[in-house]
Amino acid sequence: MSRLAPFRIGRKQVYLPNFTLTLLRTPHLPPTFASFITPLNTNKLDIRDYLFHVYGVTCVRVRSYIQQQRVRGGKRRKWYRPRATKRMTVQMDKPFVWPEEPTDFEPWSKETFDAAHEEQRKAREQSRPMADLKDSTDRKTLAEQAEQLLSGKEKWRPQWQADGRVSRSAGLFRNPESRPHVRM
Amino acid sequence: MQCLSATRTSTFPTFLIPGLCPPKSSKVPSLPFSTTAQRLKRDKSRNRGVSAIHATGLRRRQTLHVKKEDLPTPVLDRTKHSKIQIDPDHGLWQFFNDKRSALTSPDEDHAHGRAWTVEELRHKSWEDLHRLWWVCVKERNRLATEAYERRRLNAGYGDYESQERERTIKFTQRAIKHTLTERWYAWDAARQVAVEEGLDLSGNGPVWTPQNFEEDDAESEEIIEEPEERQTDAVGEETLKEVPPEADSTQHRPQPAATG
Repeated sequence: MSRLAPFRIGRKQVYLPNFTLTLLRTPHLPPTFASFITPLNTNKLDIRDYLFHVYGVTCVRVRSYIQQQRVRGGKRRKWYRPRATKRMTVQMDKPFVWPEEPTDFEPWSKETFDAAHEEQRKAREQSRPMADLKDSTDRKTLAEQAEQLLSGKEKWRPQWQADGRVSRSAGLFRNPESRPHVRM
Repeated sequence: MQCLSATRTSTFPTFLIPGLCPPKSSKVPSLPFSTTAQRLKRDKSRNRGVSAIHATGLRRRQTLHVKKEDLPTPVLDRTKHSKIQIDPDHGLWQFFNDKRSALTSPDEDHAHGRAWTVEELRHKSWEDLHRLWWVCVKERNRLATEAYERRRLNAGYGDYESQERERTIKFTQRAIKHTLTERWYAWDAARQVAVEEGLDLSGNGPVWTPQNFEEDDAESEEIIEEPEERQTDAVGEETLKEVPPEADSTQHRPQPAATG
């Protein structure tokens, strides 16, 4: 970059850096502020020089903080703490505002995505221990049916009679050729 | 006067005369014992006790030159704020895609080619490789920014496509480092040959002084000639910037391109 920097440039030359910078949407900040997630080992001077040389953004001031993460795990799993994240907020000489959020999420198939997540959540709950003992819609209807049977309002009949079939096995197989061969 | 005459008659000491004559007025001009200034009952400050920090409000019957009704009300709704003029060449636009939208759809992210291979990069100069590396860095920054935003918005699918694209970029970066490492070893081998041939690599004086010309040395000269130019300016970190002579001769200098 040939233009003159309004600050003193560092002398450490980095040819092939291998880290990523994440720009964050910060509507609560004034437009001249931009916030980034940076690696833990970068400092304010690094980020100022990086933004100036790579992106041509002149920073006036830099603030930084390290956000410690919550402890996760527990309950038969090991406790661990994810790595902390470092966030830097720079004040620039020119304002910048993020483009608007998309309103239509069709390209990302949000409906399918949400439905799949809901299904996965249900399946996860069902696979938990004692999941069948928890309150469900089946339990309610079963209780109603049992109450009607006990009070004598309904009489119990086997299912093939309730279906109106002639015998127990009649009509189970619509296609007679698909019936399994039973050795007599 | 009477006192004076009396003292004269009764040999009363003259220095006690003032004590015998009581003063006519009871008020004695005197100063208080304390040397500090007397406190005023009320100071002149009109804003005494009015604090913005403690939100005390105004005093009773306190008037201001602005009425409360005339004060402007802050606009808290962001949609009603005046639009901010953004520089179209602002550097932070490089964190976004070509359309300058907040998110890229998975289809667009998926539309990319393969990574650069080492064989292709062997023909490139250091400047081209370095430029390609920075293209990769910026693209990865964009992907990281969009991935964070996608997760924040809970937009839906797109993680897989984004990760695949980043994987391709990383392969390109790996190929760049591979190429540069190869070049370094080529340069180092040439340097060792030069040392074995007894060339002066200290940088003082001529690198090679021809002594005996024989026809048998013609082959070895060609090999040695090239590294000696390199030796004069390559120091420390600069080694990576050096291009081995083999690559120099065959390079085409095409424009670097993104992986997409």
